Amino acid sequence: MEIQCSKSEEETLRIGEKIGRKLHPPRVILLYGELGSGKTVLVRGLAQGLGIQDPALVRSPSFTLVNQYAGKEGTIYHIDFYRLEGPRDFFSIGLEEILASPSIVIIEWAEKLLLEPENPLKIRIHTNADPDTRRLEIEGY
Amino acid sequence: MIVLGIESSCDETTAALVKDGQTILSSVVASQISIHADFGGVVPELASREHVENICFVTEQCLKEASLTWTQVEALAVTQGPGLMGALLVGLTYAKGLAYALKIPFVGINHLEGHICSIFLDHPEAELPALSLVVSGGHTSLFYLKELGDYQELSRTRDDAAGEALDKLSKYLGLGYPGGPVIDRLAPQGDPKAVPFSIPKISDGSLDFSFSGIKTAALRYMTEHNISRLDREASDPLQDIPQEILDLLASYQSSIIDQLLHRLKQSLKGREVRSIQISGGVSCNSELRRRATDTFQQQDLAVYYPRSELTTDNAAMIAAAARLRPGASDPWSLIADPNLALSATRSAQKMEKRK
Repeated sequence: MEIQCSKSEEETLRIGEKIGRKLHPPRVILLYGELGSGKTVLVRGLAQGLGIQDPALVRSPSFTLVNQYAGKEGTIYHIDFYRLEGPRDFFSIGLEEILASPSIVIIEWAEKLLLEPENPLKIRIHTNADPDTRRLEIEGY
Repeated sequence: MIVLGIESSCDETTAALVKDGQTILSSVVASQISIHADFGGVVPELASREHVENICFVTEQCLKEASLTWTQVEALAVTQGPGLMGALLVGLTYAKGLAYALKIPFVGINHLEGHICSIFLDHPEAELPALSLVVSGGHTSLFYLKELGDYQELSRTRDDAAGEALDKLSKYLGLGYPGGPVIDRLAPQGDPKAVPFSIPKISDGSLDFSFSGIKTAALRYMTEHNISRLDREASDPLQDIPQEILDLLASYQSSIIDQLLHRLKQSLKGREVRSIQISGGVSCNSELRRRATDTFQQQDLAVYYPRSELTTDNAAMIAAAARLRPGASDPWSLIADPNLALSATRSAQKMEKRK
């Protein structure tokens, strides 16, 4: 496991970009972290590293559930489990098909995942006493 | 001209019949009818394939309520995007099937264009050019509406939508989801100046919105002031809420409205604007309505909102938007686009005639 410390939103973005550059589809990235810990910021960084043309497209999918972006090596799915409750919801957003496709799949609120996919990259974002800093635990990199 | 609108871009399966782009003959939303009793279907909690199970029933119900038959429907309008791919596909594919069977034209409509047009269902008198703000759980985008059908996107949210910020704090506190209406109800009991939230500065000077920072700031405030979340098991979760939480909610809502109004005011500069239009789920927030109307009254600008049932996702607005493309018909090859941009909608629509 690797530990990275971020002192700002910009740094979280850069850490994400660095990781993103080394990712190739198919790959599932599971993100864990409380409300406001910076998961969507990290995803924007990852997407930048994966070669997305317009990083501003990366926005929270809490309401929309699944966002799709075009990366250099194919589709990037940006999924948010925040609103999902039971197995039916997961089936209902088409998770099975997305996970079976040769894509990069980034999942926010992965705590809610019922079955873990194979060989995931896991990133846990921890908040600290200092409200601007974050500790990132990266596993399976 | 009677248009059947179908909208299934997110959580709701909806259908509506609209006459001449103006008169709603019927409007049916799956979650608002007793589907269980009538055909054993399900009310989806979420955007989903469960649209499949609801769409036929919803559409038939819509015809029944308008006392119309299939042969009286003259055109179809369906949401093409943006939204959830699987959800959009249900509506679009169903609409194509109907268009084929009934031998009538169909047009794909941008969901945001639908919200913008929801204003004109009740307020055909709304003057243009206008600033049109679409603000909901999934979107916060500001358009300059030179004329109907001519949209210039001035700004959008860089992270969370305004409605999402309201929903998330509400859920975090234990007040339930969606939280917009709950906060709307509780905020008047709190002091909107109690917690100093600031409007985020966008470094490149753009008019974009950002609501992620205020969410984090609210959580930080709770930690710093030892404010704990509410007990969700309480019999009436909206009773006996501590004053510090009421103050937090009032300040939070007020700050979100500050940002929306600030961007609107900034966008007035250097533009000819004859009215302000606010649509989408958050546009039924009573504090937003009161303050927006007050703010722009001073500048002699009328502010228009849709009636409350047209603020959330509905198919009447989609059918209403179809009047901007009279006589048009999209090709069978039209595909759902989860990222469909509104500014691109018009130029992409070369009014291709179906062969």
